[in-house]
Amino acid sequence: MLMEKIVNSIQQVTAELGQAAIWLSVLSAIWGIVALSIGLRRRKPDYLQSGRNALIATFILISIATSTLIFGFVTDDFSLRYVVKVSSAEQPLLYKITALWGKMSGSLLFWLWVLTFCGGIVVWQNRKANDTLADYALIPIAVVELFFIMLVTGLLEGIHNPLERLPNGLAAPDGEGMNPLLQTPSMAFHPPTLYVGWISLTVPFAFAVGSLASGRISSEWILRSRRWTLFSWIVLTVGITLGGHWAYQELGWGGYWAWDPVENVSFLPWLLATAFLHSVMIQEKRNMLKIWNILLITLSFQFTILGTYITRSGIIDSVHAFAKTDISWYFLGFILVSTAGVICLVVYRWQRLKSANRLESLLSRESAFVLNNWLLVGLTLIILWGTLWPIISEAIQKEKTAVPEAFFNQVVIIPGLLLLFLTGAGPIISWRKITPNNFRRMFMSPIFIGLIAAVISWPILAFSANTAVVLSDEAAVPLDEAFVQVSNDPQVGTETTGNIFANMWNFLTFGEKTIPIYSLLCIFASVFVLVAIFNEFYRGARLRAKRQTTTFLKGLWQLIQRNKRRYGGYIIHIGIVIVYIGIMGSKGYFQLKSDTLQLGDSMTVGNYRFTLLDTYQEKHGNYDRLGLIFDVEKDGKHVTTMKPARHYYYTTGQGDDNTIESAIHSIGMNDLYIALGDIPPNINNGGVVNVQIYHNPLIKLVWIGIAAMVIGGFVAIAEKQEYKPRPSEA
Amino acid sequence: MKNRRLKVLAASIIILTAMVLLVVSGIRKTSVRHYSPAGLIANAETADAQNIQVDGVISEGSSTWDAANFKLTFAVREREGTETINVIYEDNLKPDNFNDGGSVYVEGRYDAEKNSVVATKVQTKCASKYEGVDSPKDMESYE
Repeated sequence: MLMEKIVNSIQQVTAELGQAAIWLSVLSAIWGIVALSIGLRRRKPDYLQSGRNALIATFILISIATSTLIFGFVTDDFSLRYVVKVSSAEQPLLYKITALWGKMSGSLLFWLWVLTFCGGIVVWQNRKANDTLADYALIPIAVVELFFIMLVTGLLEGIHNPLERLPNGLAAPDGEGMNPLLQTPSMAFHPPTLYVGWISLTVPFAFAVGSLASGRISSEWILRSRRWTLFSWIVLTVGITLGGHWAYQELGWGGYWAWDPVENVSFLPWLLATAFLHSVMIQEKRNMLKIWNILLITLSFQFTILGTYITRSGIIDSVHAFAKTDISWYFLGFILVSTAGVICLVVYRWQRLKSANRLESLLSRESAFVLNNWLLVGLTLIILWGTLWPIISEAIQKEKTAVPEAFFNQVVIIPGLLLLFLTGAGPIISWRKITPNNFRRMFMSPIFIGLIAAVISWPILAFSANTAVVLSDEAAVPLDEAFVQVSNDPQVGTETTGNIFANMWNFLTFGEKTIPIYSLLCIFASVFVLVAIFNEFYRGARLRAKRQTTTFLKGLWQLIQRNKRRYGGYIIHIGIVIVYIGIMGSKGYFQLKSDTLQLGDSMTVGNYRFTLLDTYQEKHGNYDRLGLIFDVEKDGKHVTTMKPARHYYYTTGQGDDNTIESAIHSIGMNDLYIALGDIPPNINNGGVVNVQIYHNPLIKLVWIGIAAMVIGGFVAIAEKQEYKPRPSEA
Repeated sequence: MKNRRLKVLAASIIILTAMVLLVVSGIRKTSVRHYSPAGLIANAETADAQNIQVDGVISEGSSTWDAANFKLTFAVREREGTETINVIYEDNLKPDNFNDGGSVYVEGRYDAEKNSVVATKVQTKCASKYEGVDSPKDMESYE
């Protein structure tokens, strides 16, 4: 009782405290910008120190505001508008806290909080260096902070202050609750991970702007912010994967990526950051592409803002609302003004930005890097174009059309395979110009072994293609061509096979013949890359072992130790290859069967036979789990038991009252995947249930490959690189 | 020197053209007309027997789930209107988040005579991130 009273009286003031903190942070952010500008212009260390302190103060103030909101969630303060919208009393504690980023105004506050944290870290990292480049970089960070502070104040129409109370001192009896679909661990951490990845890209962007403003146009800003870029790249990789993994486990359609607009916008900054991580190497080594790098990091940053806007504003959900909402103008205005600012700075520094060197040959490592950048940026623009196509088409054709998944799959595959090839070719081609010797030494064995692998895998691919089913791309062709219903007998179930055009991975027709051309190219390129990179490791390690007269393994260890950036990168490249093989297998060769079953019925998918044995029921905190027990056999032998289910929630909140809970069983790298329709009350007395079973080959490689990429990222980030001005740059 | 720059330029133009061609042909091959229910009815003739997308809300009380035939039928209603299109979705599970009045987007072939779409894809609002702009109406129930 006493506890409750104390909590109640604290609740009376927390939101007001938080709001006051937000308003004070307006002042501290502005002071940060002003003090740093004065300090830098007039070279006054006092002002600089005061400006840096202002960024720390902003972080503390926003931390207070965020904590008061979290306090509201934890103590069920239903006088707060935002708490009512996304939380409810019986929501588990974890999801009460993650409700913080459940909707727009809370996510903006969370975003701001992470950004101010990053700003604080930059101040802290340079506490001893007393370095003007970092001070220059703090100004753009503070400007971005100010923009987000303005958004959360609630001053702007269309966005509420997350700490706003219900009018007239009212309190709701309970909250509306979070959508049950979102109440899973990977969904709890997917949005904040993405945000952290996006937000931390602000720092390298700020260093680029700072470098332009200060006139110190060297690779210094790149090296100074290199670990930030890598950090956000790693976090983005993890964040995107969590989203895909969540979709695979929760949504019941057996896939992890569907080119949904929201997925696309999370992918675009990743593509650009990847391009940036590569192109900066050209600037460091050859002093080229300076303007390009600045534009690339600016674009990456703008895409993170665009991403927040698109995911949070709901324009994709209802594309018609595009021009109607006020918040569109805030975000678009910010993007336009800040981009214009960077372009002005670039023009201002034009003379110093000119490249010292030019491309010497089309077949050189420089060109490989440039091609890599063209492809990555090209892919970004293509995907953006497809994502915004409904809006674009409406504007230019007066008629709204949209592109389905098939568009993305078709358009992405060729640049994607080229990029895969470059993953191996880039690291082994020589700088400046390829020589016959370089080609013979580095390229012959990867090409040769890659070709052998493609030839060997051909019959396997062709066989698998015949049994694989194509669903994902059905809209590519008119319906009756897209589907050939093999059987529609209720006893057998409906089996779907696809049209040859529908799944690009599978096969392409040439007259009568079908050849799994893209899969073969993928196998060739993958093996080519693996051999090329293996050679790099092997040669380096052997050389080192010889020189130091030590073992090969020790040599390998030292090799990686001495050049973490390079070999971490190679580990990432190996991860990429693994992901590609996983995508090829799971997107190109999956099998799917849909059937209606009673207890005791069986169905067969691929080599596996599934028998519906029994039902089961479990009680959980805020839901009941109702499920089916399947016995899985292969060649008459028991393999496993699978227990797909549905969750029936007591309070429905804003979402569904029951959700699909798929069962997934991995056999080697392949998954068996069962999703269920509604389970009728009479299931034990002859009732029927709808079942979809997938066989997803090689899908585990997707997750394994991404894990390898993340490990490689950590290896690369471990290297600390100090900036040493080269004589020509000073 | 000149020759080399020419080569670089040529290579860039080739890549750029290839990408543009890729996009243009991709859009040509795959793009489908996108309608609201009212728009679809108004353009019934052009849309007949075509693959289309229609996007609206699930009409209240319209959905039935025929488990024996693995078949979902429902009607998509104009967001702020009464026009509806019937949807038949077979051999696929009802997506999560499928609620009366909820946003839905349907892809499939339109039959003008029956005013129905045989769907290949039914997608409810992406559960994770959507959020309309806060509207003042939202909180009326508490105010």
